[in-house]
This record gives sequence, structure tokens and C-alpha cells, in this order.
Amino acid sequence: MKRIILILPLIFILFSCQKEKEKKVSYLITKSVSGFDVNYRTVNGEFQKENVVTASAQDRWEYDFIAEEGDIVFVSAIYKDITSAITVQIIIDGKVYKQGSSSQDTVRYVTVSGTVPYE
Amino acid sequence: MRILKFITVLASVICINVAFSQEDADTLISLPSVEIIDQQGRTYSVHSLERVDLELLPASDIGGAMRSIPNVSGIRKGGAVSDPVVRGFKYSQLNVQLNNGQKIEGGCPNRMDPATAHIDLDDIRSLEVIKGPFALRYGPNFGGVINMKTIRPVPQKEFKLNVGAMMGYESNWNGFKNRLSLDGGNDKVFFSLSGNLKKYGNYQDGNDNEVKSGFQKYNYTAQLGFSPFQNNYLILSYDQSYGRNVLFPSLPMDEREDDTKLFSVDYKATKISDIFSAFNAKLYLSDVSHVMDNKNRSFSDTVVAVSDIQARNYGFRLDGEFDLGLNRLVFGTDYEHILKDGTRTKTKILEPSMPSISEKLWNDAEIQNNGLFVLYSRGFGNFLLDAAVRLDFNRANSGELKLEKMGQEVYSNTDVKSSFTNFSASAGGKYRFSSKFSLSFSLGRGVRSPDMNERYIILLPIGYDNYDYLGNPKLEPEANNEADLKAILDFPEAGIIEGGIFFSYVTNFITGKLVPESVARPQTKGVYGVKQFYNEDYVFLKGFELIYESPMNKSWGARARAAYTRGVNPETTKYIIENGEVTGSEVVKNDPLPEIPPIEGTVEVFYRFSNGRFVPNLNLRMVAAQNNISESYMEDKTPGFVLLNFNLMYQFNSYLKLTAGVSNIFDKAYYEHLNRRIIGGKGNLYEPGRIFYLNLYFNI
Repeated sequence: MKRIILILPLIFILFSCQKEKEKKVSYLITKSVSGFDVNYRTVNGEFQKENVVTASAQDRWEYDFIAEEGDIVFVSAIYKDITSAITVQIIIDGKVYKQGSSSQDTVRYVTVSGTVPYE
Repeated sequence: MRILKFITVLASVICINVAFSQEDADTLISLPSVEIIDQQGRTYSVHSLERVDLELLPASDIGGAMRSIPNVSGIRKGGAVSDPVVRGFKYSQLNVQLNNGQKIEGGCPNRMDPATAHIDLDDIRSLEVIKGPFALRYGPNFGGVINMKTIRPVPQKEFKLNVGAMMGYESNWNGFKNRLSLDGGNDKVFFSLSGNLKKYGNYQDGNDNEVKSGFQKYNYTAQLGFSPFQNNYLILSYDQSYGRNVLFPSLPMDEREDDTKLFSVDYKATKISDIFSAFNAKLYLSDVSHVMDNKNRSFSDTVVAVSDIQARNYGFRLDGEFDLGLNRLVFGTDYEHILKDGTRTKTKILEPSMPSISEKLWNDAEIQNNGLFVLYSRGFGNFLLDAAVRLDFNRANSGELKLEKMGQEVYSNTDVKSSFTNFSASAGGKYRFSSKFSLSFSLGRGVRSPDMNERYIILLPIGYDNYDYLGNPKLEPEANNEADLKAILDFPEAGIIEGGIFFSYVTNFITGKLVPESVARPQTKGVYGVKQFYNEDYVFLKGFELIYESPMNKSWGARARAAYTRGVNPETTKYIIENGEVTGSEVVKNDPLPEIPPIEGTVEVFYRFSNGRFVPNLNLRMVAAQNNISESYMEDKTPGFVLLNFNLMYQFNSYLKLTAGVSNIFDKAYYEHLNRRIIGGKGNLYEPGRIFYLNLYFNI
């Protein structure tokens, strides 16, 4: 009996499962004075297009979801107001993972993308 | 911190030992060694590593463990896997199999998962290496056979149940390994269930630089045996294994997920009649699902590439053994069918619409091989004759080899069928001059048909050199014509010395040749061009092995081994590179073959305390610099190194055993000649620095 008691912890160690590492991902767009079109990859891996109207550069657009390591994260935006600017960020677990910005450029998309890094 | 963990584990061991202190049992301890198996009626070299040997090594994979066999080394691209090289032969030049015949086709074209990577080292009972083209019973054998024999259930006289467990820890890369097993049964029905878990982080080399080498692997195995009649045995076996996040800093991708299923049925009948001494049958299925990606590479910032490959082998082997007086005959047949299909999806993640394209890595490629073999052996007094012949019928086919880019055809080939009939044969003799001296000589010709990569790979950088490679469905089979001479001196008071030399003359040698861009344009950024596999006239390899083992009946002990291989290509082409482009070529005479390890030697001393219950062992490994490098493959020289290692085994009682040690005691920064360079110009893939390790084995 004593031997079995000693060996039980080993069984627990062997079969203890580790949960896949999950990360909180946020897409954040700021500094647009009037609005923009955004195309982003959702939590389900689908692409979502939205037209966002903003009243001032202080307005922000944000999309949050939980992702697993290795998932592709993608957000791309463009604006039509030549007096505007835009900053696009991907934030993972509270830290800026990647960001891009433009000012007075209504031709070029600001695309920020990558994969959720493995630890 | 790591040393603290090590001390904690050690303290736990001492506590457990106190708990078991009342138990005491006589236990025979087998001593670790590279076993010289010459007394089994074979004329050729067979070396094996047994379970007790493996328990002493800090290796986490089969290829790594096999490096302790003379003239066996490994090509390393990450921390988890070492791809075996035997006497300079590698990849499909070696016949790697599980339990006498089960084949496994890895998924990765860059061999991040060779057959050895799909079996857990802690499931291994014995690793047997047969050098040369002499054992023709185990399928086509070109350069040697690696037989991975796993722990199998055995019939018991009375019903018995046994629980085993193992816990291991390695410092430096914070590696944990665990094993749990349950086996038992009676003389009619017997079984085993086991599971392994390994989790290793990145290691630090001797310069304290971190090497991205972490991995996680786990598996379970269920085996059920029956013995309905005396001398009849049937074993059903199923193994499912998983690899997760296995890092390969020397490859363009890492293994993200590998799910492998291995199924086999083995039947054995012995003493069927006075003449018909044994019948063996094996049926198997190996299924590999392999996903890899470049998400840990800097170039994934623009293109994320994910490859998903399915590889399947199934086949059988049947043989019968007949004893006709002094003559022993074995007749047999085997069959193997390999199927491979895979796609790489590239996603351009910096473009606004994030477009994806898919490319075929393999397009429903298949290879079938039917073999027939006959073995004959006979003793004539002090002389033993051993001969074998083998005929293989090999057929291969694939969907169209096609690569398109942006709607444009990059490469296409519809002429993909091939079939060959290959004849292999070997003959050897061993003469025992006295009880102390015997001499063996073997001649063999082993023929192998081209493998999946060599026939059907579509423009991937899979070689040692910096080129995209293109398969050639019209390649001819490669043949190894080899001669081995071996001598054994056996002095009861002084020990055993085994020495052998070999010479291999390889015809239709399969290697790569640059093709013009009109045939195929390179598809990988930074490569110099495209090489296509072709048959070169001939190359040769030669070398020696020398082993000494002290007598088993003394408390002290020593072992020594040395090995050397040199491969030469008499005439080949070296391409001249300027500004990253091929600008010309020149002929190179007597160019050394690439990826051949340098000469090396190992000396071990040990002492058996308490009738072998406690055995400390000091091991000195000396590896020379490799200056015989291939010009045509732009190989780099490798400096030599000396390593000091220490290990010990302590059998507390019949229930508990400990093995522990320190590898690379002086924290030497070194790399093996066969380690691939790290992708991205970061230099050589260094081996781990100092590692403390400890393994506990429980058995109830």
C-alpha cells in the first residue's frame, strides 16, 4: 500500500494536462478625425469589414478577442479625409505587438499583422 | 535556480529511499555498454544499446542516444531530433524500422521527423544497428539497418501485474520526462499499457547563448498478447504519439503538430516441426499527420507559411526458418506501400486582403516495394558461412509535379512513373582460430530505389547546401558494394577487443546537379539556384571501428571505442558563387563527401560497488577537427573538442533505481560537424552546455 501511495503523485504528474496558452488580443485604431474603413480578422478567422465614423481624433475603435499562440492577427484600415491621420495597433496581453500609422495619405492601407508569438 | 531544483529532486530521492529502506532484494544489474553481439552466428557487425545503457544517457531522443555507438552519428537541426548517420550513410540509405519490420515515413521534406522521431526513447528495449548491406531479411538494405525494438508484453507463468514509473529531470533546458506503465497477464493473455511525456525548454550552449530548441512530446501505447497454444504468440500493438511546438532553428519551419498512429500485428510460431523451426508474420500501418510553419521566423512578418502533410506506410513481412542438419535456411517476403500527400499554404499577411495560395509539396505520391529473400547459414567446424539474396520489385507514381505562381507555371512534369527490379546479395564467413581469436569477412551488395524526396520533391531547400532541390522521377537505384573485415580478440582476464575495417563502393550515387533556369527557377529567397537529383557514376567510403571492453567479472571496468569514416567523390562539380549567384563551375577531384563526421574516440572507466548496485562512470569523449570537407557542397571546417561526462547508477532495491550524471562537465561550447547551421546567418547550432540530470525508476 505504501508503494502505491508513493507512486500516485507520479501518475498525476504524468497525466496532468497543460492548457493551450491563450492571449488577449486587441485591435486599436486611433487619431482618425472623421472615420475610416477597417478590414480585420475576427476570433473565428473570418474577415470583417466595417465603416467606422469618428467625431474627433480622440475617438477610438477597438476589437478584443482571445487568441491562441500562433493565430494570425490582422487589421487593415484606410481613410478618405485628406486632413486625417490614423494609427493602427495590435496589442497582445496589454503590450503593443505591432503598429502602423499614416498621415494625409488616402491611398495606402495601413496594415498591421503577424502571428500571436509563442512563448 | 536550476541547481536548486536539482538538489530538491535529489533530496526527494533520499526521502523516498528512507521509505524503502526496509526493502532489500538481490538484484542483478546489467552494465551499460555498446554490446558486441558476435556470438549469434552472424558474420557482420551488429551493435546494440540496451535499456540499461539508455537509462544512463542524458539523451531525449533515439538518434541522440545512438551517437554512443561507434561510427553512428546524427544530423541535428534542433533539440528534439537527431537523424542517424551510420558509417556516412544517411536518410533512406539506412533502413530504419520498428520491431523487426514496421516502417514509418516522416512528413517533413527536411526530415524534422525521421522514423526515429516518432518513437519515444523511453519505450525502447534495445536499439540494434546492423552495419553494411548484409542483413537482407529486414527489407531493402543499402547501408545498414537500425532496428528500434520497443518494450513488449511477455507471457507470465502465473498471473502477474507490474507497475512501473519513471521521472526524469535535466537542468539547462529544464527538461522533464515522465513515464508510467502497467503490464501483466498470464501464460495465455498478456498486455502492457504505457505513456510518456517529455517537455523541454530551450537550452543554453557553452557560451550561455540560448538555442531555440524546446519541444513537447507525449504518447501512449497499448499492447495485447495471446498465446493460445504452446510456442504460438500473437501481439496486437497500437501507439499514438504527439509532438507539439518542436523547434528547429536550423530549418525554415518548426514542427507545430505531429500526430502519429502506429498499429501492428505480430505472430510468431516456434518449433513447428523438426525441420520447420519458426514462422514470423508482421502486418503494420503507420500514419503520420505533420503540420509545420514558419511562425517563429522573422520572414513570417510578410508571409506565413503552413505545411500540412499526410504520410502513410502499410505493409507486411512473412518468413519461415528451417533447420536442415547443419544448414539453416530462411525464406521470406515483405511488402511496403508508402503514400504521401501534402500542401503548403502561404498567406501574405501584409497585403490588405491577406491573400493565400496553396502549393503541393507532394501530389498523392506513392512507392510500393515487394521483396523476396533467402538466407542461408551453415557451420563447418570452426568456420561459419552466412549468405543472403534478395530481390525487390519497386514501383513509384505520383500526381503531376506542378508548381504555379501567380497563374504562371513554374514547373511541370507528368512523366512520373518508374519501376525497378533490384538484386541484392551478401556472403560472409567467420573463422574461429581459437577461443581467443576469430576473423570475419563479408561481401555485400545492397540496392535501394530512390526515396520520395529524390523522386518527387518540388523545389524546396532540403539539402545541406543552399539550393532548392527538384525531384527526378527517372532516377536509377543506388547500389552499395561493400567489404567488411572484422577481428575479435577475447581474453578472459584482459577483455574483448573488436576491430573492423570497411570499404564501400557506391554506384549510381544519388546527389544533386545544378539545372538551368529554363528547367526550373529557384523559389526560395537567398538560394543560389536549383539542383535536381541525378545519378553520379560512383563514390566510395572507407573507415574503421575499434572497441575494447574489460572483463565483466571484475569490479573495475573500462571501455574504449574509436571510429572513423571517410567518403570521397572522385570527380564532381563545384559551383562558383559571386554576389549570391552562380557565375561558373569547376571540376573538383577527390572531393570529400559532405556530412561525414570526423574521427572520434571515447574512453570510459567505472567501478562496481556493492556487487554492482552502485556504479559511477567517468566518460571522456574526444572528437577531432573535421578538415576533410566537401568543396562542392561548400561545407565548413569544424573544430575538434573534448568532453568530460560523469554518470552513476544506484539500485536502491528491486523497486527503485536512480541514474544521474553531468554531461559536458566543463561547459564546453562546441558543435558536432553534422549539426546544420542556424537559419538566418546566426552561425552554427551549438550543442547544450553543462547538463545535470537525474532519473528515478520505480517498479512494483
